[in-house]
Amino acid sequence: MSAALLIAAQDPKVHLTSQTRILAAVIALAFMLMILELIRRDRLQERFSVVWFVAGLGMLAGAIFPGLLGFVADAMGVRDTNVALFSIILLLLLGLALNFSVIMSRQAAQITRLAQEQALEQAREQAKSVENGGKPERERL
Amino acid sequence: MRTLVFIPAWNEADSVAAVIADVRERLPGADVLVVDDGSTDETAVRAAEAGATVASLPFNQGLGAALQTGYLYALREGYDFCAHLDADGQHPPAEVARLLEEVRADRADLVIGSRYRAPVADGESGDEVGGDDYKPTISRRIGTSVFRFFLTLATRQRFTDTTSGMRAANRRVMELFSENYSPDFAEIESLQLAVRQGLRVEEVPVRMLERVGGSSFLTPVRSAFFIFKGMIVLLVGQFRPRKVGTER
Repeated sequence: MSAALLIAAQDPKVHLTSQTRILAAVIALAFMLMILELIRRDRLQERFSVVWFVAGLGMLAGAIFPGLLGFVADAMGVRDTNVALFSIILLLLLGLALNFSVIMSRQAAQITRLAQEQALEQAREQAKSVENGGKPERERL
Repeated sequence: MRTLVFIPAWNEADSVAAVIADVRERLPGADVLVVDDGSTDETAVRAAEAGATVASLPFNQGLGAALQTGYLYALREGYDFCAHLDADGQHPPAEVARLLEEVRADRADLVIGSRYRAPVADGESGDEVGGDDYKPTISRRIGTSVFRFFLTLATRQRFTDTTSGMRAANRRVMELFSENYSPDFAEIESLQLAVRQGLRVEEVPVRMLERVGGSSFLTPVRSAFFIFKGMIVLLVGQFRPRKVGTER
């Protein structure tokens, strides 16, 4: 399948008007700009942005080469390209959500340990000051 | 031989001082640590005034994290044995002393105080409960028997009081629990973990007192969710890798 064929969108399985294609491309570009802006303002760390950039590029690719979707659907053995599109997106989002749960679990464990270390440090200091005959520390941190 | 008794407390300002005083009286040789689990009341101040060392978690982390803080303190400060009991006055320190006897005599690594085992002979009456006298609510009774069944199935060892918060332990247990302790299903998973790691876990019948103030957090819906979650935790626990040896 040649690239020209992909751009021409002659595949009868994909029905996209140029209007929807332009709209999709604009949304994809705006999405990637938004990611860039978030990174620039330190609201998003680079290491978490990679996957969103890939998603934006995928959207852009789908808008520019509508034939691509038909090609993917064929490769998956799915007759309806819409079904192929939605299954791919659904699986990707599922994977992402799981990934976030894993990251959250790790961070929750780290926060807990941090809190414990701080509490232990405080308790040790109090125990030490009592041993030295000082008054027990009564102020909470 | 140094012993630490720690008390996880979350907003227990009314009862914590009395519990500490009781522990100091019944267990004169032990150091007392209160793990204040992000209390918003005067718990930490009252505990310090009563003469306990206080480890204050900066925000509420749940019972599992609070207990782990106690085990971590005992391990790091070089205590040989540790025990913990609830801050609400349900656990008589005299019974904790009996649990500690078991680990001191090296008959077990981890000893659980069970209110469901055969009652101990005692002449006292009143609001003390234990053994057959203990009358729990229906949802608690269902939860208790479900957990009892599945934990026994998972560990091939008979447990009666799976959610007991009165325990005594030695350093092997401290090493295990200070690294691996489930934050929200502390009691049950820790028993499974300890047995799977080849530690000797033993139950000792104890008397417990009726809760003075407050009510149990269990409603029927919550109990069902609690039981469901517990079963998943136990199932997953069966597939956790066994660690060979413990890290120093």
